Amino acid sequence: MNGMSECILVVDDDREIVKAIGILLEGEGYQVLKAYDGLQALDILVSRQVRLVLIDVMMPRLDGLSAMMRIRERQNIPIIVLSAKCEETDKVLGLSMGADDYVAKPYNPRELAARVKSQLRRYTSLGDIHAGCRTSQIKNGRLLYDTEERILYADGEPLRLTATETKIAELFMRNLGRIFPAEEIYRRVWEEEAYASENTVMVHIRRIREKLELNPKEPEYIKVVWGIGYKMEKK
Amino acid sequence: MDTKWKKSKKIISFIIFFLGVCLTLEGMIGVLQYRPYGFSLLHPEKLLEDDYQQSGQFQDYISDRLNSFLIMATGGDGLGGIWSYGNGSYYSRYSEEYDTGYDIGYDILQEYADGIRDLQNAYAETFAALRNPETLSPEDLALYEESLRDYQDALDDYQDSLDDYYDAFYRRSSRPLTEEQKLKLAQKYHESIKGDLNLLYCILYDDKVLYSNSDLLKADGSMTAPQGYNFLLYFDGEKVRILKDGNELDVYGDGFYRGDSLWYVPGYRNVQADENMKKARIYMAAAKEPVLYKEGGYWNGAGQPENALYWMQQNAQSGRSILFAKLVCLGSGIALLLLSFFCRKSRRQATEAIARIQAKIWIECKVLLIIGAYLLYMILTVLFDSSGYSLWQEFLFGYEHNYSLVVSEWGIPLLKAIPSPFCICLFGIIYLLCIDLRHNKGFWRHSLIARLWAAISARGLSSPLPRKMALRNIAALSAAFLFGVLAVAAVVFTFWSRYGKWNILPLFIPALAGFLAAEYLIARKNVQTARDMETLSRRIGEIRDGNYDKCDPDAQVQGHDLEKTMEQLEDIRHGIAKAVDEQMKSQRMKVELIANVSHDIKTPLTSIISYVEFLKQEQELPEHVKDYVRILDEKSQRLKNMVQDVFAVSKAASGELPVRMEALDFGKLLLQTMADMQEQIDAGPVTFRTEFPETPVMILADGQRMYRVFQNLFQNAIQYSLKGSRVYVTLQAREDLAVASVTNTSCLEPEKDKDFTERFTRGDQSRTDGGSGLGLSIAQSFTEACGGKFDLEIDADRFIVNISFPIQSRR
Repeated sequence: MNGMSECILVVDDDREIVKAIGILLEGEGYQVLKAYDGLQALDILVSRQVRLVLIDVMMPRLDGLSAMMRIRERQNIPIIVLSAKCEETDKVLGLSMGADDYVAKPYNPRELAARVKSQLRRYTSLGDIHAGCRTSQIKNGRLLYDTEERILYADGEPLRLTATETKIAELFMRNLGRIFPAEEIYRRVWEEEAYASENTVMVHIRRIREKLELNPKEPEYIKVVWGIGYKMEKK
Repeated sequence: MDTKWKKSKKIISFIIFFLGVCLTLEGMIGVLQYRPYGFSLLHPEKLLEDDYQQSGQFQDYISDRLNSFLIMATGGDGLGGIWSYGNGSYYSRYSEEYDTGYDIGYDILQEYADGIRDLQNAYAETFAALRNPETLSPEDLALYEESLRDYQDALDDYQDSLDDYYDAFYRRSSRPLTEEQKLKLAQKYHESIKGDLNLLYCILYDDKVLYSNSDLLKADGSMTAPQGYNFLLYFDGEKVRILKDGNELDVYGDGFYRGDSLWYVPGYRNVQADENMKKARIYMAAAKEPVLYKEGGYWNGAGQPENALYWMQQNAQSGRSILFAKLVCLGSGIALLLLSFFCRKSRRQATEAIARIQAKIWIECKVLLIIGAYLLYMILTVLFDSSGYSLWQEFLFGYEHNYSLVVSEWGIPLLKAIPSPFCICLFGIIYLLCIDLRHNKGFWRHSLIARLWAAISARGLSSPLPRKMALRNIAALSAAFLFGVLAVAAVVFTFWSRYGKWNILPLFIPALAGFLAAEYLIARKNVQTARDMETLSRRIGEIRDGNYDKCDPDAQVQGHDLEKTMEQLEDIRHGIAKAVDEQMKSQRMKVELIANVSHDIKTPLTSIISYVEFLKQEQELPEHVKDYVRILDEKSQRLKNMVQDVFAVSKAASGELPVRMEALDFGKLLLQTMADMQEQIDAGPVTFRTEFPETPVMILADGQRMYRVFQNLFQNAIQYSLKGSRVYVTLQAREDLAVASVTNTSCLEPEKDKDFTERFTRGDQSRTDGGSGLGLSIAQSFTEACGGKFDLEIDADRFIVNISFPIQSRR
């Protein structure tokens, strides 16, 4: 963990939520600035050096999405939208307007912390990843797979995967977006005839998810295509 | 002004107008009919001429008489011309003198006719005898044959002699008259006209008086008229001089005879008197007031000499009186028309009133009235006819004789001024027709037949369809029956009366036409109804298929049998559309409400969950407080799930759940779901048994939603199954339906009539476990949102859920 306390701005009209997030993030070692509407947030951003913004959508005076657009005019810091509106359309809207992540309320505190961490790490190590993007490396969102080292990195950190898991991860990273039926994964990874492949494959996939997904219950990268197979979402 | 006066004013103005037009028409026709000889628009003064001697008729008469007298004087060849003048009694009067051979010819013809008649009788006898040849001996037959041949010969002879006779007759009739014959004819002519002293004449030749009918006329060229004679003509051998009332008339004008010259007499430069005439002198005098001359006593049958001038004057007088009447008629007509122009406003009201009355009369009645008017005209013509002897004249003024008690002399012209029935009827009909045309639009449609038809149809419209159809069939049947009877009758009568006059076969044709017309009308109506039925059933089908939000523009059923039914269907459609619309609206409102509520719940829930999390991390809490925190955590998580589920299920129920349909393998979906839930399954008290077909079963559904469905079902199975029992997950492909079923044995006794898919329904009512109570509800609504069918079955303790989708044929 980074020793230097990074400054995070939390914006929500519900003071208890701001306070809770404050406690959560301070517990993680961050410095937390608090604002209760969009305009306050903008004021703070002018005067203070902020590394990340957590912002609610529905707020008085200036709503979260409008505030986010104003922030984006000047700064390129990561912004995580935190909203009770958690429908697909709301998420798409938020992300398309410049949010780096979208977390639905009621949030899972651990997941939120993980997402904040992930965003900050990507933000700080962005240069590294881009500079060191060699041909042997396959990048997908916060994931990076080095085909020579045979290591999967998440947010720049290597994940501890077993040999089988690495094989599966490599299959997915090499074929981003392609749907693999369980039998095919089994054949290609275990290199033997598929038998009761669904369960075996699923077990491994669940384990990989737990290691690379921020919220394994709502996976973002390795997804089940129900009734067809599995795939790695291309980010 | 009170209404009574207004009303009578209307009537009066109408009568004035009507009478005016009738009188004007009658006057115009009368004036044209009785206009005097020589009247034209250039000579309007002739209209009031009362001197008969001024008429062209008189001039022609005098010219003609002069011509005859000249022929008599000179004994000229043109004497035949005399005879062409006159009254057709030529042959009967002068046949003996003027030997035309007519009488001889008649005798010969008589002879011939008798001969032919005899021949005919004999021939007929022979023919009758020959009719029964078996009664005759061969000798007789030969005899008869011979006599027939004789008849033939005789007829030929007659034919020849007739031809000869015709030649002789024509030769003789074209023979010129002898001097003697001419003289005889002239004398006879003189005898016949001399009694008429209205025209005095004296014919001289070589200064010798040949014929004269009066001594009063001085034949000395002094041109003095006897008493009572105002017209004097003298022919001096070259020219004609005429004195009228002592004044000399200009006979010749510029000296050339033209078509419009008044006097056709010798002396014009182009009509010169010939040499023979130079010695002839003719004197003529015409009476101022001609009188009727009679010959003989009235005891032995009085005859009349010519009396041409008398009748000429009489005719002129009566014609003038009629003309005067017609002029009065025309004048009063025009005056009335002028008057009616001033009260045209009330007349218009009157015509409108008439039009209103007319509008109520059926066209059939009008046609009958016109026929009636024509008949009335015929009757009135017999009564009124002024041109002949009529009952009316007999009754009123005794045919111009003064024994009528009803009308005196002065009344006749007035009576004659009465417009003729022809004018009244003709104008009346035309006028009424005009009123109809102007005020009553489409009056011809107001007919009794149309009325009856409308009445029948209207009655038909209000009665139910089966009754209508029955009525129509009865009508068709009666028409067919009637036609059959008529046809049989026609055939029977025609056959029966082959030799008689009873031929009613022509009746058959209108009967056939009527029958076909009736059948056609009925069939047309039935075809129309059949088409409407088709439309109706199509509409019903459309509504069943959910097309109830648009009106069918093709369905034009105004006045049809099914109009009412169509209307009712339209009402139903409208009602459904409205109800569905309202339901949709209320559903949307519900979803919106739930969305708002769930959002509002989520905000405080976020705080609760956050702080519970902090409490969970507190290490120094006493054990019982840690227990409280655990409960708080559990319940807050459940609340969170519930809020999300409520939102999802309400959206799905209102059909607003977005689904991403794709072809997927149903079996694989089940396997994946089970693999995904492997940990839970392994941890549960039950074992899962599966039975899937070898081949993939493809369906069209939203995988994510269906995963949720089976997740809920499996969770329920794990949660509510009897400990140690088995959960059967099977997939079957039944023809075109893929059916997945999840069967488990309930740990509790399921209540029979409980609707488990009802929201917040749970196996046990105490609700102490983690579920939201929406599992089955979500499963059902998601399945249906994906186009599948959700069936829940309870068989004793077994809880069976069947989810079926139509199988997609793989391409």
